[in-house]
Amino acid sequence: MHHASSSAGGQLRLALFAGLAELAGTRALDIPWAGGSVGDLRQAIAAARPAVAGLLERSAIAVGGRYADDDAIVQAGADVAILPPVSGG
Amino acid sequence: MQPTRRDERDQIRPDADGALVRRPIDPQRLLAAVASPEAGANVLFVGTARGFTNGVETTGLEYEAHDSMATEALERLCTAAVDRFSLLACAVEHRLGRVAIGEAAVGIAASAAHRRAAFEAAEWLMERIKREVPIWKCEEWADGRRAWVHAEPAAAARGGDAGHERGDGPVDAGRRRSRGRGRRR
Repeated sequence: MHHASSSAGGQLRLALFAGLAELAGTRALDIPWAGGSVGDLRQAIAAARPAVAGLLERSAIAVGGRYADDDAIVQAGADVAILPPVSGG
Repeated sequence: MQPTRRDERDQIRPDADGALVRRPIDPQRLLAAVASPEAGANVLFVGTARGFTNGVETTGLEYEAHDSMATEALERLCTAAVDRFSLLACAVEHRLGRVAIGEAAVGIAASAAHRRAAFEAAEWLMERIKREVPIWKCEEWADGRRAWVHAEPAAAARGGDAGHERGDGPVDAGRRRSRGRGRRR
């Protein structure tokens, strides 16, 4: 997590849902974040909470309420949600 | 639940009584919301919490959602359904929180001049809701265990649609390449 321990001191609060929240033990996961891509964020989350790694692989990430590709950039302080495979209906 | 009507599509706004509800779903209210003097067909679909799945007893369900994204997605799907099937109106409600066996978890009402469009719209909406709206279901079983349902992505969802859709192009089930999905109209 070298990229997440910068002196910039940025942080992300991630909203987790359903089984992902259960695996992480929290619905709001704070991780240090100096900026990077959604792909970087996936790695940072898996490192911070190894238990979620498998389900995270199958989850979508939304930034500011919009689904984001792995190469999208996430700024510190962004509104980020991790959305596991859906099961409504 | 704010019904989506042909002539009001651009005035839809989220309100306190949005498509996500934490109270019992009232099917009559959904039907009333889509009533129109031009309608010759009014289809109501009510999805209820099923007590047995493959022989295993379920004692209750619990739903949660990404509230703002799910509300927006449901409104967008209603708008798309009105356009796609030339509906007069459509309305959707999905319940959150605990849902007892036999109670409604989701309700869809669609009105159209003729029945085919209304039936097809309800089916199409249900498919889309299950596949792409950020709502999750937790199953509680008779033996006391509970588990959130996060299906493995179906082959259909990974490779695009498998004939469920009508020329929509691939429907991504929430994977990484889904940017812009929320913009489809």
